[in-house]
Amino acid sequence: MNLTKKARRKPIIPINSMSDIAFLLLIFIMLISLINYRKEIKIEYPEAVMQESVNADANLELWITRDGDIFHEGALITARTAEGIIAGEIAENPSLRIHILADRHTPYRHINTIMETLQILQHRVVSLVVKENV
Amino acid sequence: MNIRKTRKKRIDIADSGALSDLAFLLIVFFIVIAVFNINKGFILELPKKDSQKIVNIDDIMKVWIAADGSISANGESLDMEELERRTKDMIALRPNATFLLHIHPDAEYQDVVDIIDMVRLTEVENFSFAMKDGGAQQ
Repeated sequence: MNLTKKARRKPIIPINSMSDIAFLLLIFIMLISLINYRKEIKIEYPEAVMQESVNADANLELWITRDGDIFHEGALITARTAEGIIAGEIAENPSLRIHILADRHTPYRHINTIMETLQILQHRVVSLVVKENV
Repeated sequence: MNIRKTRKKRIDIADSGALSDLAFLLIVFFIVIAVFNINKGFILELPKKDSQKIVNIDDIMKVWIAADGSISANGESLDMEELERRTKDMIALRPNATFLLHIHPDAEYQDVVDIIDMVRLTEVENFSFAMKDGGAQQ
């Protein structure tokens, strides 16, 4: 029998498919960043020298404008609605961190409304967000 | 004369590797954008509602923020530098001293943040704050 030995080919990594992989990764990251999309409200942040990173695993942001309007995820809400949202989120995740992002000129009574709500709900840890030092 | 026409080489974009470079740059851009969402500020622990704590009256430093942002301590009007100096003196003398901040409802949030910032810088351990009507008059 005449058996011919096949010559072995050297393995080659197809470089052309790298761009496909890169684009798939890009689409994946774009989708993830869309999920984490933060609906910013136009406020003038307060400034402070001493500051630390205040983000936790689970976060809830409440924005307060200088007129005292409260926003959650870009939607204008009342203090009562805010209480409902906070209570619901805390029930789901007790380690949730509440962030207050208020305008520097906001009268304190508007911030106190949220503070009192948190005290009533016995969720006593709150983060006051300031402008990040460059 | 024998002039040979040179054949133009076709450039294949996918083969050149430029696309993958571009894609990776975009990935880095999105990762950097995601990092920008980290909040910076203060973490405060609020007291229980209507909770009371017995403290030696000499260990309390009562500070008021009025509606116009002016600060007063124990009935005396102060600026921020003076308040910082007094707080440092108080802490040096009485490490367990309590800094009690009374805030007027109309006081601006920045004025409150300034005091909290100063309290953090001076490493005051016992800090309490509450909204009170009447400001320094009380």
